[in-house]
Amino acid sequence: MKRSVCAIAAALAFTLAAGATAGCSPSKPEAKKSGGTYTSVFANHAIDPQSPINPFAGKGNSFTGYNVTPLGIRKNHLTDHNQHYPAIAESWQVSPDGSEITIKLQPNAKWSDGTPVTAEDIKTSAAVAFTQGGSIFAITPGSTGALGEVTIVDEKTVKFTQAPGARNNTFLFSVLAMNVLAKSVWGPQLPADFWDKVKKGAGSDDAAKAARDEITALGKRLITFGPAKDVSAGPFVLESVNASEAILTKNPHFYNADKIGPEKVRLKNYSGNEQIWNYLIAGELDGAPFTATPTNVVEQILKVPGSKKITGLSQVSAALVFNQKYAPFDKVEVRQALAYLIDRSEVQKIGAPDSGKPSEHTHGLIEDAAKAWIGDAEVSKLNPYNPDKAKAEALLKQAGLTKAADGKWMLPNGQPFTFKLQVPNGFSDWVAAGKNVANQLTNAGIAVEATTSADYAVYQKEIAEGKYAAGFWLIALGPSTYNAYARLYGGANGWSAFGGKLAHKPAGEGGNWMGGAETANVAGLGTLNPGELTYQLSQLPVDQAKDTIVKLAKYTNDQLPGIQMWNYVNVKFVNTTRYENFPPDNCECLRETDGVWMQLGYIQPKK
Amino acid sequence: MNSFLWRLAGHLTRGLAMVWVVTTFTFFLIRLMPGDPVQIQYERLIAQGMSPDQAESATAITYGFLPDGPVWQQYLDYLSGLLVLDLGVSVESQGIPVADRVFGAMPWTVILVLSGILISFLIGVGLGVVAALRRSSFVGHSLSIAGSLLHGVPPFVIGIVLAALFTRRWRWFPSGGVYNGDEVAPGFYADFMLNVAYHMVLPASAFALASYGGWLLAMRSSVASVLGDDFLLAAELRGLTSWMRFRYLARNAILPLFTVLAISFGLVFGGAIFIERIFNYPGLGMLLLSSIGARDYSMMSGSFLVITVAVIIANILADLFYSFIDPRVRRQT
Repeated sequence: MKRSVCAIAAALAFTLAAGATAGCSPSKPEAKKSGGTYTSVFANHAIDPQSPINPFAGKGNSFTGYNVTPLGIRKNHLTDHNQHYPAIAESWQVSPDGSEITIKLQPNAKWSDGTPVTAEDIKTSAAVAFTQGGSIFAITPGSTGALGEVTIVDEKTVKFTQAPGARNNTFLFSVLAMNVLAKSVWGPQLPADFWDKVKKGAGSDDAAKAARDEITALGKRLITFGPAKDVSAGPFVLESVNASEAILTKNPHFYNADKIGPEKVRLKNYSGNEQIWNYLIAGELDGAPFTATPTNVVEQILKVPGSKKITGLSQVSAALVFNQKYAPFDKVEVRQALAYLIDRSEVQKIGAPDSGKPSEHTHGLIEDAAKAWIGDAEVSKLNPYNPDKAKAEALLKQAGLTKAADGKWMLPNGQPFTFKLQVPNGFSDWVAAGKNVANQLTNAGIAVEATTSADYAVYQKEIAEGKYAAGFWLIALGPSTYNAYARLYGGANGWSAFGGKLAHKPAGEGGNWMGGAETANVAGLGTLNPGELTYQLSQLPVDQAKDTIVKLAKYTNDQLPGIQMWNYVNVKFVNTTRYENFPPDNCECLRETDGVWMQLGYIQPKK
Repeated sequence: MNSFLWRLAGHLTRGLAMVWVVTTFTFFLIRLMPGDPVQIQYERLIAQGMSPDQAESATAITYGFLPDGPVWQQYLDYLSGLLVLDLGVSVESQGIPVADRVFGAMPWTVILVLSGILISFLIGVGLGVVAALRRSSFVGHSLSIAGSLLHGVPPFVIGIVLAALFTRRWRWFPSGGVYNGDEVAPGFYADFMLNVAYHMVLPASAFALASYGGWLLAMRSSVASVLGDDFLLAAELRGLTSWMRFRYLARNAILPLFTVLAISFGLVFGGAIFIERIFNYPGLGMLLLSSIGARDYSMMSGSFLVITVAVIIANILADLFYSFIDPRVRRQT
């Protein structure tokens, strides 16, 4: 009996193991070469063997920086979002009015099959990007900043032109961020008259709608398309993929192949921050993507031999934001009072001790970016809202609140001033910070309860529905100041631009959950409309944006739609046991993947 | 034979009705969950450092894969798709058929959980017999207490302990994955099988440790009750060897456990969600978790459907199988 059960078990296990892998190549991988295998985690999307080799797929087997590369790699520049490292584009020239970009391709750029990368490939890449939509590739009637035309100048030169009348200062970085695809693979998927359809689709009649529908349908089909074999212009080519990792091997035809240190890259599937920490503590990674890591985990990681952290600029801030539909957050004095009551240094120490720096001011940008844009002198004029109970009490009284004998603050209607501060479950930094803010305010006489939403999806939905009076929110997303201020004065606060026109929806309508006023009076500046100013930032040339940014910084500092708690610090962990020459602290490449670091000559096998 | 066919037909009818009920329930339950897959994806990319424009581009096409139309229409579409075994397409994986993803993840879960079940069953049953035969001795007491304690510890706790000990304290086993693609390529050869087995040791052990206590206690109780039966006394009086008497005992005592074992095979498809999460093991459990996190409605529906069907089939097989292995049941039917 037992013998038979054992035999069945063994046979079953063996058969299943075999069955699990049926249909795969039976060959063993080639012997490793001198550069070794670099192991990391790819966090941009999950790895999925069923998905195609397609950079647009939500879960796919194209890995930015490794087997797919853009025209240019964006630097994490403090102020200029148009600063890039050359990639497939060797150089680029922008016309004085910003409407045309002429790109020269790397003269020796080749695909992994040995054929040259040409301007035709770039035009095909733009066509495929149009089928996927978004940013400059949105085919919406009158859409601002849309790509108008792609012209092949010669085999290695291509020109991009904005749609007539459009002037979007994100045009350059949107073009350079475009994934470069092989015409030999993707060209046959596109109809011969594709560009005619794009032109037609920009209109507003029925024919235009039909053209747009065709392009959308094509986009849906293309997202599931992928070649059987990877054809890459990046430093690596996909060799194999299984449900938990992808193996990429060096592309000998890459234009900069001699700079690439590792012979292979092993990218593990991302399924959560804890998993990355486990890998790091087990010493299984040579490099890891950014995660907001708690101090105790940082300590454990750094105990691993060879482990070290690289820190640099992160253009993201965590802020406590208010829904001004809820009283008394509609009163600016109350928001200012809360800013005086919260010690942000304490919040940062609790919430993001290793991956954050307390915000010195609330102005809608990270501190260094604000100083670079508007100068130290202007920044120093802003209110730092240093903890000051007396000022807070005066402001609360000014807003009509009263302090009871037991120290609790009462609303003008006689009810106690209490509120819930919402944070999403799983965001350990926000959860810890939320509890600390609640403690600080409760001690000051405002009973605040930090409550958690089941997960981030619930949090997003409910905050957008206006169910929370206060919560945490990412702001100051640079280096584009338009992107940064759009987090405060964009859709979440009622402003939306469509067809080149800006409109504002009242609180609670059309996604306006912050519920701020459309305009407000700021001392010394008069009445400002922050949505309009933000929209201007998308149009103004970068060198003419300073005055607008000064106004927005002052408006944000005065009106406080949110209180900036801390600016994130980009912390990346690497292990120098097998590889060396990692990027230095504060490298402008730090936010990019390790594959991009390799393209720049970093990460070499240890001698 | 006729009665068998009638029974089978009855089981299948009830099974199909159950599948419809569960499918309908989960379909509507899933749609009641708050969260928008596109917004989730967009904000995740923003949090990872992508610019809003890039994130917008990366998520734009996802809108095309969201189920649209009124919910009742979606429900009818879903049911009509099921009739031709079409589980729909994934929202998160934008257009990839749900069936491809489910059946891609399934082998890893099956091999993991089946190994865990079989290991725990064999060890649990063996030790259960010892615990029953030596029930008044130190060995019997120790086995029973150990079984009870482990039975009470949730699998994920055992998984965390094993991971802490054998991937961090002593780095004997990998922290995750199914095999090292840099060392082996899939195929029918020993190196690959060993690599798969090596990656499976910890998750399978966690599963086996967590469930062996249950088998041990059930077998101990079953053996103890059979020990008092007259047929064993009769066998002893007829002078049968102790080995023969043990076989009589084991065959009768193990009968109730076979039903549970068969049903456990059905639960295989549900995966060991927490264990797969702890060891980053890309089976059905992980697939389900990720689809819940991304609010991938089609994927959630597909995963639940596969789990439901597997449990129902396992129940039917257990019922039919039992009538074959136990003559008393066969006679009653």
